[in-house]
Amino acid sequence: MTIMPIGAALAAAHVAPVTGVTPAGVTHEAQAAAGTGFASLLSGGIEHLTTLQKTSDNLAVQAATGDLKDVHDYTIAAASASTALELTVAVRNKAVEAFNDIMRMQI
Amino acid sequence: MGIFDAISIAGSGITVYRKWMDAISDNISNVNTVTRTSQNAFQARYVEAQAVGYGSGEGGVQVAGIRLGDPRGQLRYDPSNPLADKDGNVRAPDIDLGSQMTQLIMAQRGYQANLSVVDRAKAAYEAAIGIGK
Repeated sequence: MTIMPIGAALAAAHVAPVTGVTPAGVTHEAQAAAGTGFASLLSGGIEHLTTLQKTSDNLAVQAATGDLKDVHDYTIAAASASTALELTVAVRNKAVEAFNDIMRMQI
Repeated sequence: MGIFDAISIAGSGITVYRKWMDAISDNISNVNTVTRTSQNAFQARYVEAQAVGYGSGEGGVQVAGIRLGDPRGQLRYDPSNPLADKDGNVRAPDIDLGSQMTQLIMAQRGYQANLSVVDRAKAAYEAAIGIGK
């Protein structure tokens, strides 16, 4: 079976593409706010996670080279990084779940 | 400071208690370090703790500074010591071993309490992440 682009599929099925439809009751401001809100939240979270993991990695190197002053500095950084990773994964899972729910919606 | 504040605040406490234990360790290791009576005795180290930005909501503790004990120490009669003066005295540090051991227990318990806070806070955060799973 070959996979054809959706436009070609519509043409093959003699279905005219739907045009000129604007969603009712949705303002552009709300769309913009929703779009940047979640995206910035997610990217901010991932940035935070990256910082924590970098700190944890640096401390792991210090532990290996003997430069580490405090044992708990590394273990706490590692714990924070793993908790932040769990949080990010949880948010990602929730987002994917919501997307799948919408995709499974009967029209 | 971020979303896992409880963990980093407890971390600052662990650092302070670690430094306190270092100071006590130094004091105990030098409890029998004597000097000539013409010199200063070994000065005991005391850690001074201070809240970080008290009332600002930042939280945590830090070491404000190290206070030193009495440089005069205490005179000890020990004529067989090669450092003794003509009266047979040497200068010993003014450190009470019993007091140091008591402080060591306090520092150890404080360290453990803060470690416990880290563990509990992590468990609490994980429980919050798990809501609705």
